[in-house]
Amino acid sequence: MRDALNIPAPPDSQWKRRFVQPLLRQRSAMLGLAIIALYVFAAVFAPWLATHDPTAQDLMASLQGPSAAHWLGTDSYGQDLYSRLLYGAQLALIIGFASVALGLAVGVAIGLAAGLMGGRTEWVLMRIVDGLLAFPELILAMAFMAVLGLGTENVVYALALSFVGPFARMTRGDVLQVKNQPYIEAARLMGVTTAAIIWRHVLPNVVSPILVQAGMRVSIAILLESGLSFLGIGVVPPTPDWGLMIAEGRAFITMAPWISGVPGVALAILLVALNLLGDGLRDAFDPTTQKDA
Amino acid sequence: MQEPIFSLLDVERTYELRGRGWFHRASRQLKALDGVRLDLQRGDTLALVGESGSGKSTLIRLMLGLEPASDGRVLYGQRDLSQLDAEERKRFAREVAFIYQNARGSMNPRMRIEDILAEPIRLHGLCAESALPERVAALLDRVGLPTGLLQRFPSELSGGQIRRVAIARALAAEPQVIMADESVAGLDVSVQAQVLNLLRDLCREAGITLVFITHDLGVASYLCEKIAVLYLGRIVEQGPTDAILNTPRHPYTRALLQAFPRFDMPLKASLSGEIPSPVDLPKGCRFAGRCPQAQAACRETDPVLTALEAGRQVACLFPVAAA
Ligand SMILES: Nc1ncnc2c1ncn2[C@@H]1O[C@H](COP(=O)(O)OP(=O)(O)OP(=O)(O)O)[C@@H](O)[C@H]1O
Ligand code: SF4
Ligand SMILES: [Mg+2]
Repeated sequence: MRDALNIPAPPDSQWKRRFVQPLLRQRSAMLGLAIIALYVFAAVFAPWLATHDPTAQDLMASLQGPSAAHWLGTDSYGQDLYSRLLYGAQLALIIGFASVALGLAVGVAIGLAAGLMGGRTEWVLMRIVDGLLAFPELILAMAFMAVLGLGTENVVYALALSFVGPFARMTRGDVLQVKNQPYIEAARLMGVTTAAIIWRHVLPNVVSPILVQAGMRVSIAILLESGLSFLGIGVVPPTPDWGLMIAEGRAFITMAPWISGVPGVALAILLVALNLLGDGLRDAFDPTTQKDA
Repeated sequence: MQEPIFSLLDVERTYELRGRGWFHRASRQLKALDGVRLDLQRGDTLALVGESGSGKSTLIRLMLGLEPASDGRVLYGQRDLSQLDAEERKRFAREVAFIYQNARGSMNPRMRIEDILAEPIRLHGLCAESALPERVAALLDRVGLPTGLLQRFPSELSGGQIRRVAIARALAAEPQVIMADESVAGLDVSVQAQVLNLLRDLCREAGITLVFITHDLGVASYLCEKIAVLYLGRIVEQGPTDAILNTPRHPYTRALLQAFPRFDMPLKASLSGEIPSPVDLPKGCRFAGRCPQAQAACRETDPVLTALEAGRQVACLFPVAAA
């Protein structure tokens, strides 16, 4: 048995050792992170990087292939695809992160309340969650869009609502498991107050799977958002949105394949990158990959 | 006469066992504790010994107020544990500490040792925030661990280290009573000896009252001045360690000693006969089926724990003659 009582403290900080280093060891996650960083850069600096106003129409220059004036060509309205692509990244990332953040906040609150209070509260909350989970996310988001109406903000709300169920169910499951751990009872025995038990002992032990899940959900959100816009029930034209752009290019797919192709490829690469990072996060945080004797 | 710090008055604890399936819904009752009598004086060191399933853990959980007694009363000082008000409960939390059998599991895996030890000190406002690091370091030093461990997480410590941390945490609130469930089982001989020495010194120096569950009679005799032997939910013999080990008066204790367990083996009496199930206890003495001294009366009357001589109690109708 290992019982050297004089092992010196490891030199670097524990936080690094527990979270950053395992993540750094995931090659593909780092690749995903690099690509995402590139997208974030493009989104943040879109106003400076863009060569044109993303919604400026120039019918004289429509359906042009890539050229010096329009680096990635133009669409049927003569809008510059390169500029629309940059602003589209902005929109996709904002909608993706905002909807997940909102869904997470509401879902985690419901899950915590259900898991901690139990009894009738739990029963009612979980029946609501079951109702939300009965439909696939896309169907649910479409239904909400039908109720809320078109528009960027409403896309965020609709997507957030469709994420409440998964976050709530997951949080409740983890809370129920953590609640019965001996260290919760030990804390109660020492006289720790209920609020402090939730804040110090329950939350930190359920937070990492939730964050991993959130990371994965961002890519789902972006895909769903593009899907909604593609179907014409998401953001309204002429907003520079990848889903809209793909839909608009559909009619010209043989004549001018770049109109759909450019946003399509951009979307695909971003989704792959987000999934790579999500998998890496999961592996890095997964308790089964950390030693726990 | 000294007033007892804990008194158990005919404590009973039953668990409802719900039948499985639609047709066997009828619930049955499992008696984990049955007619337990115990007086614990301030400064006592008591070992609870008994075979697996005899109710040791249940008894200690009742004394900690983690579970209610189904019948009978558990008194802390003069007060019934189930009737403490908020103020008294807080005092109880400070004065009585518990060391879990699963030391690692009793610590939040996301907290550093430093914060784990600081929590009870902060909670009871035992020192100024500025003096906290010093105090935590002193605690660690007291259980013989280097301060280098303060920044570690529980999963990064060895079995011996984590048990010392558990002891340090129990000491943090300066308790008057420490209860420990199998705190040295499964450790290397040398580490076990270190932990036992530590506990013994602490109790002697600070006058702490100790209740220690063990299935190792050697450990019990080393650490504790008194022993209580449990059998099927009842204390069947209780008294000073020396007296019990040298002249056991209950046939069950005797059987235990004859099979003096090898080191670190579960306690097991060397007897023929089935241990009855705690779900339907037989009428009369619960030990009658295995007792070599059993007589006809044993199957009729259930013997309760009664004083035999000063400080010595036995639950048997026909105690073994002394020497
Ligand atoms: N929550 C519970 N529900 C039903 N039965 C229980 C429960 N807890 C304990 N028991 C039963 O009560 C009896 C005593 O259990 P207890 O855990 O106190 O034994 P123990 O002496 O600590 O044994 P060990 O040495 O194995 O730890 C056992 O028969 C056990 O099955
Ligand atoms: S009462 Fe009878 S059966 Fe029970 S322990 Fe004593 S002698 Fe044995
Ligand atoms: Mg036990």
